[in-house]
Amino acid sequence: MNANSKPAPAPDFEAADADGHRVKLSDYKGKKHVVLVFNRGFM
Amino acid sequence: MAQLRQDYQEFTGRSAEVIAVGPEGARKFAAWWHKNEMPFVGIADPEHTVAGLYRQQTRLLKLGRMPALMVVDRNGMLRYEHHGDSMADIPGNAFILSLLDRLNQE
Repeated sequence: MNANSKPAPAPDFEAADADGHRVKLSDYKGKKHVVLVFNRGFM
Repeated sequence: MAQLRQDYQEFTGRSAEVIAVGPEGARKFAAWWHKNEMPFVGIADPEHTVAGLYRQQTRLLKLGRMPALMVVDRNGMLRYEHHGDSMADIPGNAFILSLLDRLNQE
């Protein structure tokens, strides 16, 4: 487990979700925490 | 993913959104996402753009990308990161939910 003792700004990104809507990480700033899950693959 | 789907309301109840990033192409990814009725945000990342930003590891001998999980707080700060050493090496929901509880107490 690697809790960050010195938090750094999370790299921003913008991408399309599964419905084709644009998702931008920084849009959540000031509103929600974000849990980013990176998988090997879904299929 | 099934566990995340089952507990998704626990995450939203802690003012958190879940964004899952997968290596498939957009069409295959969207088909799987809709078939499995995933309730959170899913992003296809076939060019490794987002995964690269967050240093998701690739192991040739383990046939591809390794799992990773990050928590970004509502101030946009990266508060937790975990890079799995095996396909099963991913933090459990209970741990992540407790971390979110701590962030909400700050």
